[in-house]
Amino acid sequence: MGATTTSGADELPRPPRAAGRRETVTRRLLRAGFADLTRSAQLWADPALEAVLPTGPGPDDETSAADDLLAALGGTADPDLALLQLVRLASTPAAAGALADVLAHDGVPRARLLAVLGASSALGDEVVRRPELLAVLRDGDGGVGVAPERVRAELLAAVGADPDAPDPVAGTEPGRWPDAEARTATDALRRAYRARLLRIAATDLTTDEPLGLLPAVAAALADLAAAALEAALAVARSQHLDHAQVRLAVIGMGKTGGRELNYVSDVDVVYVAEPGVDADGQEVAEAHAMAVGARLASTLQKVCAGASAEPALWQVDAALRPEGKHGPLVRTLSSHLAYYDRWAATWEFQALLKARPVAGDPELGRAYRAAVDPLVWKAVSRENFVEDAQAMRRRVEEHVPPAEADRQIKLGRGGLRDVEFTVQLLQLVHGRMDPGIRSPNTLRALTALASAGFVGRDHAGRMAVCYRFLRALEHRVQLYRLRRTHLLPTGEEDLRRLARSLGMRAEGAEGLTERWKATRREVRSLHEAVFYRPLLPATAQLSEAEVSLAPEAARHRFAAIGYRDPDGAMRHVLALTEGTSRRAALQRQLLPVLLGWFAEGADPDAGLLAFRRLSEELGSTHWYLKLLRDSGSAAQNLAQVLSSSRYLADALARSPESVQWLADPTGLEPRGAERLDAEADAILTRADDPATAAVLLRALRRRELARTGAAELLRLLDPVSAAAAVSDAADVVLHGGLRVAEHVARGELGLDQDPQANPTRMLVVAMGRLGGREMGYGSDADVMFVHEPVAGADGQLANRFALTVATRLREMLGAVGPEPSLPVDADLRPEGRQGPLARTLASYAEYYERWSSVWEAQALLRARPVATSPGADGLAERFTATVDPRRYPAGGLAAGDVREVRRIKARVESERLPRGVEPARHLKLGPGGVSDVEWTVQLLQLQHAHTVPGLRTTGTVAALDAAEDAGLVGPVDAQHLREAWVLASRLRSAVVLWSGRTTGSHADVLPHDRQALAGIARLMGDVGGGADLEELYLRTARRARAVVDRVFYEAG
Amino acid sequence: MCSMDRQQEFVLRTVEERDIRFIRLWFTDVLGVLKSVAVAPAELEQAFAEGIGFDGSSIEGLTRVYEADMIAKPDPTTFQVLPWRGERHGTARMFCDILTPDGEPSLADSRNVLKRALAKASDKGFTFYTHPEVEFYLFEQLASPDAPLVPVDRGGYFDHLARGSTHDFRRAAITMLESMGISVEFSHHEAGPGQNEIDLRYADALTTADNLMTFRTVVKEVALEQGVFATFMPKPLTEEPGSGMHTHLSLFEGDRNAFHEPGAQFELSKTARQFIAGLLVHAAEITAITNQYVNSYKRLWGGSEAPSYVCWGHNNRSALVRVPMYKPGKGNSSRVEYRALDSATNPYLAFAVLLAAGLKGIEEGYELPEATDDDVWELTDAERRALGIAPLPQSLDEAIALMERSELVAETLGEHVFRYVLKNKKQEWATYRQQVTPFELQRFLQFL
Repeated sequence: MGATTTSGADELPRPPRAAGRRETVTRRLLRAGFADLTRSAQLWADPALEAVLPTGPGPDDETSAADDLLAALGGTADPDLALLQLVRLASTPAAAGALADVLAHDGVPRARLLAVLGASSALGDEVVRRPELLAVLRDGDGGVGVAPERVRAELLAAVGADPDAPDPVAGTEPGRWPDAEARTATDALRRAYRARLLRIAATDLTTDEPLGLLPAVAAALADLAAAALEAALAVARSQHLDHAQVRLAVIGMGKTGGRELNYVSDVDVVYVAEPGVDADGQEVAEAHAMAVGARLASTLQKVCAGASAEPALWQVDAALRPEGKHGPLVRTLSSHLAYYDRWAATWEFQALLKARPVAGDPELGRAYRAAVDPLVWKAVSRENFVEDAQAMRRRVEEHVPPAEADRQIKLGRGGLRDVEFTVQLLQLVHGRMDPGIRSPNTLRALTALASAGFVGRDHAGRMAVCYRFLRALEHRVQLYRLRRTHLLPTGEEDLRRLARSLGMRAEGAEGLTERWKATRREVRSLHEAVFYRPLLPATAQLSEAEVSLAPEAARHRFAAIGYRDPDGAMRHVLALTEGTSRRAALQRQLLPVLLGWFAEGADPDAGLLAFRRLSEELGSTHWYLKLLRDSGSAAQNLAQVLSSSRYLADALARSPESVQWLADPTGLEPRGAERLDAEADAILTRADDPATAAVLLRALRRRELARTGAAELLRLLDPVSAAAAVSDAADVVLHGGLRVAEHVARGELGLDQDPQANPTRMLVVAMGRLGGREMGYGSDADVMFVHEPVAGADGQLANRFALTVATRLREMLGAVGPEPSLPVDADLRPEGRQGPLARTLASYAEYYERWSSVWEAQALLRARPVATSPGADGLAERFTATVDPRRYPAGGLAAGDVREVRRIKARVESERLPRGVEPARHLKLGPGGVSDVEWTVQLLQLQHAHTVPGLRTTGTVAALDAAEDAGLVGPVDAQHLREAWVLASRLRSAVVLWSGRTTGSHADVLPHDRQALAGIARLMGDVGGGADLEELYLRTARRARAVVDRVFYEAG
Repeated sequence: MCSMDRQQEFVLRTVEERDIRFIRLWFTDVLGVLKSVAVAPAELEQAFAEGIGFDGSSIEGLTRVYEADMIAKPDPTTFQVLPWRGERHGTARMFCDILTPDGEPSLADSRNVLKRALAKASDKGFTFYTHPEVEFYLFEQLASPDAPLVPVDRGGYFDHLARGSTHDFRRAAITMLESMGISVEFSHHEAGPGQNEIDLRYADALTTADNLMTFRTVVKEVALEQGVFATFMPKPLTEEPGSGMHTHLSLFEGDRNAFHEPGAQFELSKTARQFIAGLLVHAAEITAITNQYVNSYKRLWGGSEAPSYVCWGHNNRSALVRVPMYKPGKGNSSRVEYRALDSATNPYLAFAVLLAAGLKGIEEGYELPEATDDDVWELTDAERRALGIAPLPQSLDEAIALMERSELVAETLGEHVFRYVLKNKKQEWATYRQQVTPFELQRFLQFL
């Protein structure tokens, strides 16, 4: 603490009465709770203060009355500040008399004065500036629990308006209002406002139960704001003599509407107006009336916030009106309604929930409220309510600048806005059926929600306490300087003052910070408890105080968070929570949170169902329960995976142990080819027969696809790395499969089982997407089989052996079986399906020498050796050396060959597209799809790879990058091609992950079905909604196609 | 929603009280042709709640291959009793929004294209108002498709008809339009025989587009009743002026005209200047929308007052964009007139692209070139080149090619409508190109 040393304490000047055997001043200041002892001791001895201090003995004989006052100062939030302000006040001649009076007695007035001086430097300054305000503290009239009409009358009277008039008009010159100091009606209003604000603060600061008094304080502040708006309107009327030509009502929104205002806050309003009458009693034209209304409203705003001799009250913010800041300031009721009918967004209806007439024409105000009311309670049935509500919640959670994140009282997760949002969402969901829960006041609404059985009483109670605490804290922070702030200060002294002003004297700064953090955490967990827990059946509730929603209400709430089949969801929840098993007990705890997470996925219903299946499968497996209980991220990841991807839900159901990956930070990393090879090796060494070995290999691949899919979905893996991981798994399976197939072939041909006895060495060459390491979850493996007979081997036997190996390998991996197959396609070999399945390297060389056509050279661009027999040293390199001159022809392509490539492509476009599919939506063969980009890149490779080494790659993106670097495509064109290729590839994967189906004509088509589109969009995560995704793909592909037309076809 | 409910209730009540037996649900296909689905009063409640399903596969450009099932959802604020089926039991109509079976706005609904464009403007605080002047011809009923066109008011021909005259036509049309809540100002001008012009009152663009659709139908209907026929074809007669639809455009911010700035040149605000600049920069690429038929280009390049060149002027009747003479003290009447539009345009798409072009000018802060005072038709090609005045596309073919490269049009129409329009227009051009025309026969048959 910043207390001074005691070494110099004796040298401090002493007040005369402090003589004798009594304690030193320092000691007494210290005991009383002062922090800056040196300065305070000086102040305590100030002659001006001396003059007003009480004399004589205190309440008990031990102390004097002055000592008693010192102790009272010590009881304030900031004794040093209180003392300083007291001295300033004592030095003000106009104040001294009244001050001495107040200080003379240990009574309510003194307590009120000291509390204000110690908690609010701004209000203290105000009292020093206007000593007559001491009267406000002396008259014993409290600031809260006052009838709103009295406050309204007080402020109207203060501007010289008749509170009983239907349209009160303020006086226009001094003398027309009681406060002689005020030179304008605006100043008169502001002075009266401050006086009442002081009254409220004094009551607030002297209560023993700040949290208990909070709702009344917030209501008093809202009533004061309403009265100020009324008086400001009276002032505006006095400046616009044609004011009768419009009927104007001011509607309070936000906290003003909820009657739960802060000390300092923008006051949210909207204006509604209707034509009034002119001097002859004729109704005026609407346009004219609106113009008059707009003038009145903008003058009203100036009276409250414009420049004047007295400080401004607050900004009047009308931004919640139709069309926001761009819309006209005032509108007729029907114009409001027309807007809400046609244009309004869901959040605007949520805002309307708070609308309450606060000033102006009461009849019009009531009509407005009555007219908008049904809109609010029907908002939940709007088409996009679920998405809108989710977006609104994200806004609540996200809009905190990082620098403020750990100081924000209002925004962010666990802040005030979070509580308000939760309450409002529940009101919107259930308010349609139950008018009893429609209060615009947060705390009242919370109580009503609890008594109507929509949230647990216990949870509602705890949430209310959190809210009160955060609000009280916010009030205290704002009171200090009367600034609009929602940030917890960081200074030790500031925090100490806050703690003391909230009755947390013993806990101090540290205790206050701790409680604040705990409150935020509790709000977070209460959100889940309040929103999702009542969705559990009564039998699953953890305590008596909790509630279960009636079926109808549960249906509404499930639907409002995005479940399409609420009845199904209720059945699953029942099944998951009933019984006495440990699992059921744990799920009762966990399910509320999971329900929320499923709702964030693309298909909440599917997620819940998959979870139920998984849970039944894994039953009471020890690690499963532990994982759910202990690892928050695992449970959340699980929920996201299950509710976004049918493919992965199936995969997890097939190998439930994979769920464990989700808990392990390294569990979702690709295993890498080397580790997988070692694992395959171990499998094959253990396996007794080829059939088992094949199944195990296929299982290994299935497992890696699931791992990769989960990692891609959780955005731990980018699309390019995911494709590489999927290709690695295929490589490993081909490698292992080759070993098994050779074993089988040796058996069939009656050869020695020693691999060295093979008559020929095999090489499997990957082609197509596998060659490019760009496989998707549903891709086939394109390959070619090459062999090289060992020296002296029988050529016939070698051929038979190679053919048997190739045939068995394809069967093993492609046949229908218990594990997903990997169809092995060798159609890209020389002579296609007419050609032999396997050829010797020499035969390849001869074929390419004599017959090869340009499309074969093009296919070879993707050729990548993946697996060889034992002992086939150098075969891969010899193959590569054989094909390199074909695919990277010296001198590029002849004009005739270029023409041929284009012609083939054009034919493919017209013939290969399946019937009935809209070309633009075909991700592979449609305009701007995968194939367009690949052909363009491959043509550049054929033409330029002999001079540009970077083009000698099997990867599409790598080749495209190299072409761009070499200036073969412009940067903008390259970007368009890359974006289209990546997006189409991602979409193909996403379609499989979403639908769970790897084959069929739909797999390469952007779906038409809205729900599928929305699900895929959500699964991809960064492409907006379903319609946005569709638009994005069509646009991206269109741009790419324009590049293909120019670069590939050299057209236009 | 509440007032929606009141509107719906009003419709249901009116249908009951006025003994209406059919309600036509109107919507517009991508080419701007009005389509209609009739429902009985008993189906109306369901139509409001869920919409009415129909097979969209027969509607131009409306559906994707897999979406034959479409839903028409009537907009109750557009309810009107149709005056021309004036038997004892009336018929009424409402405009519809077209939804997919999942209840999302159809990407292929032209009304929705305009709504999207307006919503975008509204995000920037703008409301878009339009005021079209529609020209059309009245001809005598054709005995056969090959018979020559006979304008109704040449040589008093019309007098022979049992009832009516052009005067009667106008009176009947006005009465009918006004009974449908569309107030108009008619003028018969002598530019072409049988040619009429009707000005629709200034309104927000969506209302104007709806009104135009109604208007075309009413004019055709009244003409039929009078035993003549009306056409909005852009250029029906080679020697006479075409039928344009000069349209006045303005943007409002709340109730303030955003084009108006007192004291500025022509009282035009910066917003207005940038909006005009946007129109000029993008004029060529939106022409396939504003002038959508092969015949449109016969009007655009038919001389007289047709706006063939991209330039603007203050009260210059040869410019593409004309800034009308300013009336002092009428700040809210500031506007610009776009003169390329013809009467056969799809107003929803045309207003959407015009708005988008103008807004682009504002967003990007385009510089407005100098105004042109000359009659641009009088200038030589070289002079126009020197002044930086480019021509609009000379044919539908050229317009299509320009639009195909336009990101602005693609974005405004949405990819689906964009693709559909392109495909349809290419088809039209291909079919047109195949024709052997009377011109060719006349000139070449004997000669070659």
